[in-house]
Amino acid sequence: MPVRTVSVMLMNSIDGSDSTGGSQPIVQAQDLRRRYGEGEAAVDALAGVTVDFPAGRYAAIMGPSGSGKSTLMHLLAGLDRPTSGTVRVGGVELTELDDRALTQLRRDRIGFIFQTFNLLPVLNAEENILLPLSIAGHDVDREWFDRLVDTVGIRDRLSHRPAELSGGQQQRVAVARALISRPAVVFADEPSGNLDSKASGDVLELLRHAVDDFGQTVVMVTHDAHAASFADRLLVLADGTIVHDGPAASTEEALDLMKAVG
Amino acid sequence: MLALVLRGFMQRKLRVLLTAVAIALGVALMAGTYILTDTINHAFAEVFGNAYAKKAVVVTEKETLGRGAGSESSVLNDATLATVRAVPGVAAASGSVTTQGALLTTSGKRLTSGGAPAIIDAAQPPRFEAFTAVKGHLPSTAEQVAIDEATANRQHLRLGQQVVIAGRAPARRYTIAGIAKFAGSESLGGASVALLVPQQAQYVAGEPGAWQGINVAASPGVSPQQLAARVRTALPATLTVRTGAQEAANQTSELEEKVGFLRTFLLVFAYIALVVGAFIIFNTISITVAQRTREFGLLRTLGASRGQIMRAVVEEGVLLGVVGAVIGLLAGIGLAPALDGLFRAFGADLPDNGTVLEARTVIVSLGVGIVVTVAAGLLPALRATRVPPIAAMREGVQIPPRSPLSKRALIIRFLVGLVLVLAVSTLSKGVGVVLLIGLVIRASRLRYRLRHHGKPRNYRVVPALASAVGWLVSWRGITARLARENSVRQPGRTLTTALALTVGLGLVAFISVLAAGTKATIDQAVSRSFAGSLIVQNSESGQGLPAAVAPAVRTVHGVGAVTAVAFTKGRVRNLAAAGAPVIAEKSTVTAIEPESFVKMYKTEWEHGSPATLTALGPDDTVITKKFASAHDLHVGQRLAVLTASGHEVTLTVTGIVKEEVLGLLANLTVLRSLASSAFGQREDGVDFVSYAPGANSAEVRHGINSLLRADFPQTHSQTAAEYTHEVSSKLNTFLLLVYVLLALSVIVSLFGIVNTLILSIYERTRELGMMRAIGTSRSQIRQMIRYESLITAMIGGILGLVIGVVGAILVTIFALSGSGYVVSVPVGTLFVLLIAAALAGLIAALAPARRAARLDVLQALASE
Repeated sequence: MPVRTVSVMLMNSIDGSDSTGGSQPIVQAQDLRRRYGEGEAAVDALAGVTVDFPAGRYAAIMGPSGSGKSTLMHLLAGLDRPTSGTVRVGGVELTELDDRALTQLRRDRIGFIFQTFNLLPVLNAEENILLPLSIAGHDVDREWFDRLVDTVGIRDRLSHRPAELSGGQQQRVAVARALISRPAVVFADEPSGNLDSKASGDVLELLRHAVDDFGQTVVMVTHDAHAASFADRLLVLADGTIVHDGPAASTEEALDLMKAVG
Repeated sequence: MLALVLRGFMQRKLRVLLTAVAIALGVALMAGTYILTDTINHAFAEVFGNAYAKKAVVVTEKETLGRGAGSESSVLNDATLATVRAVPGVAAASGSVTTQGALLTTSGKRLTSGGAPAIIDAAQPPRFEAFTAVKGHLPSTAEQVAIDEATANRQHLRLGQQVVIAGRAPARRYTIAGIAKFAGSESLGGASVALLVPQQAQYVAGEPGAWQGINVAASPGVSPQQLAARVRTALPATLTVRTGAQEAANQTSELEEKVGFLRTFLLVFAYIALVVGAFIIFNTISITVAQRTREFGLLRTLGASRGQIMRAVVEEGVLLGVVGAVIGLLAGIGLAPALDGLFRAFGADLPDNGTVLEARTVIVSLGVGIVVTVAAGLLPALRATRVPPIAAMREGVQIPPRSPLSKRALIIRFLVGLVLVLAVSTLSKGVGVVLLIGLVIRASRLRYRLRHHGKPRNYRVVPALASAVGWLVSWRGITARLARENSVRQPGRTLTTALALTVGLGLVAFISVLAAGTKATIDQAVSRSFAGSLIVQNSESGQGLPAAVAPAVRTVHGVGAVTAVAFTKGRVRNLAAAGAPVIAEKSTVTAIEPESFVKMYKTEWEHGSPATLTALGPDDTVITKKFASAHDLHVGQRLAVLTASGHEVTLTVTGIVKEEVLGLLANLTVLRSLASSAFGQREDGVDFVSYAPGANSAEVRHGINSLLRADFPQTHSQTAAEYTHEVSSKLNTFLLLVYVLLALSVIVSLFGIVNTLILSIYERTRELGMMRAIGTSRSQIRQMIRYESLITAMIGGILGLVIGVVGAILVTIFALSGSGYVVSVPVGTLFVLLIAAALAGLIAALAPARRAARLDVLQALASE
């Protein structure tokens, strides 16, 4: 498919997404399979997953190591390509996009929060937050920026470089960075994995806040049952398939679920 | 440990190869130089060996001041020949003449190639002659000539064709009677040989009746040594008698001395490339040591001693050195013919036969390559030993810095540097000044460190320059901004990478400024001093002007005056000083015709006036101010001068001129008539011509040129402007050669930039993954790496230009002060150099940028 056509489709979908409201799924996965390796050594990381993520909701994906939860997130975010099946983000079919279109989609429609923060050490906090806009060459919405900065509470740290920030502060900067371009969906990969319990709680609260107050869609991968308890919905993966999909559970319930599959 | 090192090597083939190239290029130039010069020496030894193979004994004049010191007249003549023939045991003797001249077509086109000379030889009887005719025969009448086969083939010369030969007498035409081949089939380089009958060769040499050598054959039963001894006793001591083998060896060793200059010249560039290579090796090993902190920590945890860690890194250096040196040696074997071709392209055609690879070439090239590599890796190896075992357990452990030096250690180190600089300064003022400036910078650093408990000051130059260059590309947005930040992230690393480029570009800038200064100085000297209309010179480089030119030009209608200036050599002793010490071993002596000279050449006087020159007597001399102040000479003092022809004359100083650098008047100036009588000088260096008042200059010049074309086709006339233009274009040719050789160092430094970029990208893999994940496009990543490379290259370029220009200006101010040397900064050239540095940076970034853009996002995010 010519790149131009894809871009047009993309633009249309972006325009159209606002009118879809909360009912229309932002992210849709249809019979996703991902196989690593070939022949005898081949491993099915995902063995047929079909799932929708509605707008404005907070979903947690849990599962033991090797369950396929990270693979699922990578496929949903357009970082990896499925062996078969389809992914749609905001109505756009990812598997049909070339690298340029995918890059543009990630830039405009998807936000990322990583376990290891992944801030650029050479930029200060403010520049890190604005990085996605700088890359895209978009103007800064100062009002939105100020609101985000106050929400994540790092106004007095804006001119500091990551090395001068604590882990919790770094991750809060990362949350602001993920939200700055008002993406259709934010993918968080073990966002609290590298933080102490206080900082971890702060960051999880922030994501909850983003969903409740900004109507942000969040998909979080975690193996921490406490983290999962902040979400609206809990998915549990085991051996590449979804074994549980229900409303958010308390920490204890989530732990039980994990024990059942682990 | 060695197994571990080897395995690591195999896993990083590309990096090893890139790093090895840094040293290989310098080694290649070194090996190539040795091979080329050995080959030339070998070829010449063969040529001389064959030339003297048939000559038992050779008689020549004694060379008072070394061969070629002047164009002194020969003292060998037919009487000498008769004396030699009368010596018992002499079977035959014949006089020889070998001179340089021009070999031209009848329409005046040169038949020799490049800058090579035409050698005019007196054909010898068959028992002595090294040439044999392959077509026709050797000359037997005064009208005939035999031309060497290579020239005949190159210029498509045929028997019966006419050629013009011009040496130190008016040109004559000869008919080609034979094509001759030198004994053996050695190439004579680009030199052409013309064989004439002896009397004609004497005519061309400008000395009818004089021989330059006598070849002697021995009767049966008389050995060359015996014969040489007998001939020696029969001749005056002013003559040299050698066996043929001795003469061949003597000429070979004289030639090897000349080739030695060429070798040194080329080796300088090889060493420069090696220094640049050492920078890169140091940088690369430093970076890899930093990246392998965890690995070293693990080895320490497992019980490896510091010594073992050190050895592991040093062993890597050795292996790297071996790989680089071997690649370099092999490349050098291929480079030797290329160097030869380079010199040929610049007009220096040198004979060569096959390729001579001596054991010394292999040993020195490999040795130097390995030693330089290992030495460059020693500091990083020491750093590696400071990795604590805990580094294995934790991420991001930095290698602890060396404990700050004590105040005493810092001061002692500084003082040692001071002493070294002062020692160098006594040898060379210019270099000393440059070093002194470095020392002032060190002193300010020392002050800082003494006040801050020995801690070195942070880098300031790199961030400042990075900001400046980064500002230029800042309109490109975030990629340029990140590139700038990344380049100052490890300022030491960026600086070392940039400095590799600084070395090459600095030297280019240095030489450009000196060359521009030289051109400006010549322009100024000519316009200030020359008051004539035309300058007449020989077109063949290094050959003098026949003495007959000046009188001939004087006869042209409309010529007002002609003055001939000759240059000879003398060993000068100061009779005013105790013991009459030698103050100049082989000083140039200018010989003038004062009456006409003062009309056409202006100079300023320290002591005297133009009248001093016109009053110059045969026992008088005028010296330069520089020479006078160097040896404390004054007017009225006497100097003893041993001339090239072996006479000693005593001269009284009658005046001191303020001659500027590159001026015509050498240390000593004497009468031209004295030069011919006492110095044996029989040709001129240059003739100045002035038109008669009211003469039509175009007509007069036309008349002069017609005369020159007909009788002296080896010469040409020039106006002052044409002369300076020619000098500067010759200088440009030489500059180009130097630039080509320095380009090698610049190429080496490009590999350094590539290396550093690849290693930095490797370190930042996860960062790049994140950037790609949040929507940075591949072309943006490429752009970022390109700008980073551009900034590094520009830092190197700017530093190089600044150091080169400042260094050149300082050298001119201090080493050439008072000599009238003009400082001129070639702004255009420097700008081009800066652009070249930028382009170099962009080229170096090509592969690393592609590599960075191709990173798999997921793998990059997962990397540590």
